[in-house]
Amino acid sequence: MSVFSILIAYHQAFLQGLGVTLKLCLIIWTSGIAGGIVLGVLGANFPSSWGRLTRLMAFSFSAIPTLVVLFWLHYPAQALFNVVIDPFYTAALTFSLVNLFGIAELVRNAICDFPQQYSLAGQVCGMRHRDIVGHIQLPLLFRQLLPSVMMQQVMMLHVTLFASLISVDELFRVSQRINSLIYRPVEIYTALALFFLMVCLPINLTAVYLKKRYTRNLSER
Amino acid sequence: MLDIRHLSFSYDQKAPLLKDISLTVSPGELTVLIGPSGAGKTTLLRCMALLENPQQGEICIDDERLVYPLESQKTFTPPWPKVTVVFQQLFLWPHLTLRENILLPTKHRKDPTIPDKLEALIHAFDMQGFIDKYPNEASLGQRQRVALARALILEPHYLLLDEITSSLDVEQIAKLLSYLKSLRGQNIGIFIITHLLSFARHTADRVFFMADGRIEESGTASILRAPQTERLAQFLSVVATVS
Repeated sequence: MSVFSILIAYHQAFLQGLGVTLKLCLIIWTSGIAGGIVLGVLGANFPSSWGRLTRLMAFSFSAIPTLVVLFWLHYPAQALFNVVIDPFYTAALTFSLVNLFGIAELVRNAICDFPQQYSLAGQVCGMRHRDIVGHIQLPLLFRQLLPSVMMQQVMMLHVTLFASLISVDELFRVSQRINSLIYRPVEIYTALALFFLMVCLPINLTAVYLKKRYTRNLSER
Repeated sequence: MLDIRHLSFSYDQKAPLLKDISLTVSPGELTVLIGPSGAGKTTLLRCMALLENPQQGEICIDDERLVYPLESQKTFTPPWPKVTVVFQQLFLWPHLTLRENILLPTKHRKDPTIPDKLEALIHAFDMQGFIDKYPNEASLGQRQRVALARALILEPHYLLLDEITSSLDVEQIAKLLSYLKSLRGQNIGIFIITHLLSFARHTADRVFFMADGRIEESGTASILRAPQTERLAQFLSVVATVS
């Protein structure tokens, strides 16, 4: 069986797995980006309270492997509180938290390191605070953050593979199950790689488009 | 009138950067501040623009009088762009073209003459060839002219300039300085920090010499020909040697 004949034969299963992966990604990306931006802004404006919390949590989530957090929330935490949560939601919560605190730290750092002289120039020109934020700070921060945020989202897509380890029927787990039926690892994992390429390609193209549309090389010539 | 009285300032309360400074910038006058590096000239300019919070003294901008240390409840109307600054480092916004840099602060002004003023400034500073470039694509001299145009389009009452001629060629300096002289006719009070002593000699209405955080000597441009203090004489002789 070739890669394409496997894809055709098991397209329903692959599509189902892809659907779960994309659903997971959608939750992780939206909650991570929206929550991360809010938390990052709070962290930059209230460094001793929200800022410390963001730094601590971002450090914790980067130091503790995501898989450990996932397993901890899936087994010991649920046993401790005597609850049973659908593995999909456990995975969504874990990865959302990782993404959220990652983005929050990126945003907080970008705001804290923002060159204040650009705001000062607006201030002495009599610009209103909201105009300085809207026309100077946000566009510059957006340009600065865009590549790293996009990179983080691609990374989060890859991390969703861990969900298969707690029985979430996402793309990787579906592939493994098909492989256990027909034992064609080369073709199946090639197909899986193709799927990831297909998913990552639009993200990559979006990143390239946004980069082209909104960022320029600002270095002096 | 932009009036500074007995101003003292330090960042860490220990080593004062400005010590008992008094000076006045009058509308329609060109006031020049000279002095060696590290004398506190830029810090003084920042205080005059109310960008720093001095420990002692008074700053009067026309009718607004601020006495330092400010009472905690004291609020004041921000003086910008009535008082505006062109910083030595210019701080042009890198994501906007030079034209957009000049126009952005005027965005909410309901002044139909803004496009005409922009055109006049483009013409006055020979900016036709590069006005639609980005700051990183322009030379330092071109950016200096744009930064000055960005301040001038706002029609300030007091214009504070920090070493803005440092990267201009002789021809551009001459043009810029003649333009600054013409601004006096528009009743703008100009305060300029410069190392161009010849400019100070020929154009300044008042000259202040600053060293070690103090105004060591002040007066008309004649103090540059006949200094009264040893410190200024020493400074002028060093500058003359280098020139």
